[in-house]
Amino acid sequence: MSTRPRSYNTEGVILRRRNLGEADSIFTVFSPTEGKFDAIARAVRKPKSRMRGHLEPLTRSQMHLAHGRNLDVFTQAETIAAYLAVRDDLDRLTLAIYCCELVDRFTADRAAQSELYDLLVDLLEALDAGASPTVARYFELRVLANTGYEIRLSHCAICDGPIAEEDTLFSVASGGLVCGGCRSRGGSGRLISVRAIKAMRFAANATMGQFAGLRLEAELEAELQRVLGEAIRSVLERETNSGRYVEALAVPLRPPVHESPGDVQ
Amino acid sequence: MAEAPSTPEPIQRLIEAFHRLPGIGPKSAQRLAYHILRTSEQEALALTEAVMDVKRRIRLCSVCLNITEADPCAYCSDDRRDKAVVCVVEQPLDVLAIERSGGYKGQYHVLHGILNPIDGVGPEDIHVRELVVRLQAGEIQEVIMATNPSLEGEATAMYIQRLLSPAGVRVTRLARGLPSGADLEYTDDVTLARALEGRREV
Repeated sequence: MSTRPRSYNTEGVILRRRNLGEADSIFTVFSPTEGKFDAIARAVRKPKSRMRGHLEPLTRSQMHLAHGRNLDVFTQAETIAAYLAVRDDLDRLTLAIYCCELVDRFTADRAAQSELYDLLVDLLEALDAGASPTVARYFELRVLANTGYEIRLSHCAICDGPIAEEDTLFSVASGGLVCGGCRSRGGSGRLISVRAIKAMRFAANATMGQFAGLRLEAELEAELQRVLGEAIRSVLERETNSGRYVEALAVPLRPPVHESPGDVQ
Repeated sequence: MAEAPSTPEPIQRLIEAFHRLPGIGPKSAQRLAYHILRTSEQEALALTEAVMDVKRRIRLCSVCLNITEADPCAYCSDDRRDKAVVCVVEQPLDVLAIERSGGYKGQYHVLHGILNPIDGVGPEDIHVRELVVRLQAGEIQEVIMATNPSLEGEATAMYIQRLLSPAGVRVTRLARGLPSGADLEYTDDVTLARALEGRREV
């Protein structure tokens, strides 16, 4: 038998929830010390559960867990921060969920990444305090950098030469900006504007608060969203579920089609 | 499923059918299948008929999308119920829960799902559009959002509120707070904050 303790304490942000059986749920937690992990909360869907509200997704909680045969089991949980203002605003809520999904997809199980954790907490706090959606762009850049996909912005990703002040090729496959001389070897990508490059360079050295203070024009904001969205898609080799959702919220629902409701599937 | 090769094919098929049901593991599936094997033919026939009847006779109400035998359903065709109020719920079981409370005499709308950005369930995947169509008739004055007070339920309520606000309909949300028999000590911050917001004169 190992001599490890039978239970442990950790804090963490709840990234997602899946239901299990009649009244249990499996929660995915991101913790600064344990990394990302799944754990079971027993009977948490019953109305008298004492842990229920403390384990809602997007909540930062202090939790106590017992080692289980397969998954660990929550024994206690208490909220540190619930980010009420985020929950009350559909746009910020969706962004927060999107950022949680990024953390979920960019991390491996049980690999501690305290910097990424601090970044996520900073983001939730910023959104809670009413930051503009621009912080999500900062978050995307930092998630990429923190998980080994840093985008080269200062010099050419291929020849390390200087980047001229003009529209420049941005190639995820090459690892960042590609100068005019290397463009033919840069692979597929898109040309991005000088303003977008400057905004991303600023983000690489600024705090989240400083970046959130920027007043970006809608056009530039949209360009950054597109460029970083593509970079993330290409690293993950898939769409994010909530990313599609962010887009869906921006456009109104398709005009109602009159169709007769079908049978129960 | 790793099954002894000697299991006769019909039993094996039944075991697999049970195994596909929610909450039924391989052992339970086996036990159920062997139980069926021992029951009388009438009992087995009653079971198959019950299963087929559910599939053949139950459909969605064309108005509220609740499950029903008659279309429109009993709630939609009852003239004593208030036609100006619609209660929006996630699933048919929620209609029963609200009916049990006895405090509601209006219409329903069943979404058959809930927006879940994490798992990629979007507005097109649930029956939201039908609600918009219903509102165009102009008879409905209030929409009560009775989705669960979870992250997904709140997101759905806010989305529908945003969708319907241009139509000038009153959109309300079920109150959130402490359940009866709760313990303040263990109550989470969100629930307590909502309970304080919604406090009443004693």
